[in-house]
Amino acid sequence: MSDELVLTLRAPLAAAVDFSALRLHAWADLAPAAVARVEVRVAGAGLVALGDLFDVRGSKGGRTRFAGDFSRVEALGAGLERGEVVIEGSVGREVGARMRGGRISVTGNAGWGAGLEMSGGVLDVTGNAGPRAGGASLGAKRGMTGGEVIVRGSAGPEAGAGMRRGLVAVGGDVAEGAGRATLAGTVVVFGTTGPNPGQWSKRGSVLALGPVSPPATYRYACTYRPEYVGILLRHLASRRGLPVTHEHLTGSYRRYSGDLAELGAGELLVWTRD
Amino acid sequence: MNVRGVLIEDTFAEAFTMRAARLVITAASPRWATAAALKLTGFATSVIGCKCEAGIERELATTETPDGRTGVSVLFMTMSKDDLPKRLIERVGQTVLTCPTTACFDGLPDAPDRVGVGSALRYFGDGFQASKVIAGERYWRIPVMEGEFLVQEKFGMLKAVGGGNFLILARSAAAALAAAEAAVDAMAGMTGVFLPFPGGVVRSGSKVGSRRSKTMIASTNDAFCPTLRAITKSDIPDGVNSVLEIVINGIDAPAIARAMRAGIDAACRDGVVAISAGNYGGKLGPHHFYLRKIMGEGGPA
Repeated sequence: MSDELVLTLRAPLAAAVDFSALRLHAWADLAPAAVARVEVRVAGAGLVALGDLFDVRGSKGGRTRFAGDFSRVEALGAGLERGEVVIEGSVGREVGARMRGGRISVTGNAGWGAGLEMSGGVLDVTGNAGPRAGGASLGAKRGMTGGEVIVRGSAGPEAGAGMRRGLVAVGGDVAEGAGRATLAGTVVVFGTTGPNPGQWSKRGSVLALGPVSPPATYRYACTYRPEYVGILLRHLASRRGLPVTHEHLTGSYRRYSGDLAELGAGELLVWTRD
Repeated sequence: MNVRGVLIEDTFAEAFTMRAARLVITAASPRWATAAALKLTGFATSVIGCKCEAGIERELATTETPDGRTGVSVLFMTMSKDDLPKRLIERVGQTVLTCPTTACFDGLPDAPDRVGVGSALRYFGDGFQASKVIAGERYWRIPVMEGEFLVQEKFGMLKAVGGGNFLILARSAAAALAAAEAAVDAMAGMTGVFLPFPGGVVRSGSKVGSRRSKTMIASTNDAFCPTLRAITKSDIPDGVNSVLEIVINGIDAPAIARAMRAGIDAACRDGVVAISAGNYGGKLGPHHFYLRKIMGEGGPA
């Protein structure tokens, strides 16, 4: 048997389950029986042992795999510092929130606030992500400060809102407000970028590889090929498997500076074949 | 010991511990990568007068560079770890930043010691500079008239070896030069080494200090000057009328030993009487490259 802890849902969840108090990296030292005794808060039912909700098997020391529909599980992998977590299925809000290291893979969709305020590690969502992927909590100024959120499907509104550092890369489309009010950091969109990307951004970058309309508060600067984009795209292709094309690497980028209603040191880079 | 009739003298090259960085310079074409590298490594033959020693290690294919463009690998050395960032900042700032289309990356990513280069050069951006962290490495984007200069924030620093050498003792100046050229060609492109002198060859080998001046830290190596054979304590055998030196710096001693073996082997040709080496009696430099051991066994002493 491999070094893998497997938690399989015994039955579909009838209420929201809050994982925010759990630190999954600490499970590397726990036997399955000990993990089964860990308690989580279930809406309307209070603290419940994981063993009552999940069949816990495997061995300690390796990655942790969750099997089932976790759409009602909140903050799964929150605060992760190391190790690997695989979620086979969809997951609820704030998966990987405030994670500092390690890797979380979600084979389905992720809810609101995936990778919220994370500072390190990689959150990889095969499906779609809800609003504020890699963003800040509502009312908070600062979102991601490091790490990478990879969304292979599409992302909801305000992806990367309030980012300070880090990377949000979306293989599909992104809804309105990508990179809103970023202090820095980078949002890459392979599909269509929704309205008002980079609005109120100070120094952030939005890299639009598909259709996009620059906001009114961004001003065209020039068309060129920033060398860092090549390094970034090669990283996304080789390490993250995102659909970077030869044309993305060899094409030029229209640079718009903004948000001119803010510091104006941010940029919207729009890929062009010309 | 003889190699094709050329005497390999029973002596050793004495080399020193230095600090090294490897720079990967990329550009839109080999022309511009090479142009930057040549300027960067210009006037960097000896720490005696240049404060650093540098040379082109090899050309890099597009698959070997971080940004997928053609590039050149440069090795850069100083005597002290404090000097390395100073010299790098001066030279990258004046020769690579200024050169069209170039970018500059760290070629020693696994070196635990890191020195700031882009972190200092960014100030040329006058507040308009920006940084990006990609895969854990920070890069600085400095706006320039052409577009943008990209430079990595920190470069790896290793303890390295400077001053590996051998002397080609030939019957004529032409024979010495031909042998030196053959040796340089044989060592060209070898990983981990560079030849800091013009064309890889030194005609003015030096000894420590001076017979006449207390302020001179180096002066001509009169023991190997053919014109002085009659009036100084000469080490030149009969029949030798010209001596050239090949100096080899490297990332480590084995890299230098490999290069010396290839170079000496190529230099052993018609018109060459003997191969010798420069040393200071073994008291100054911790790295000793015994010629006969290198040629016989292939490893450093």
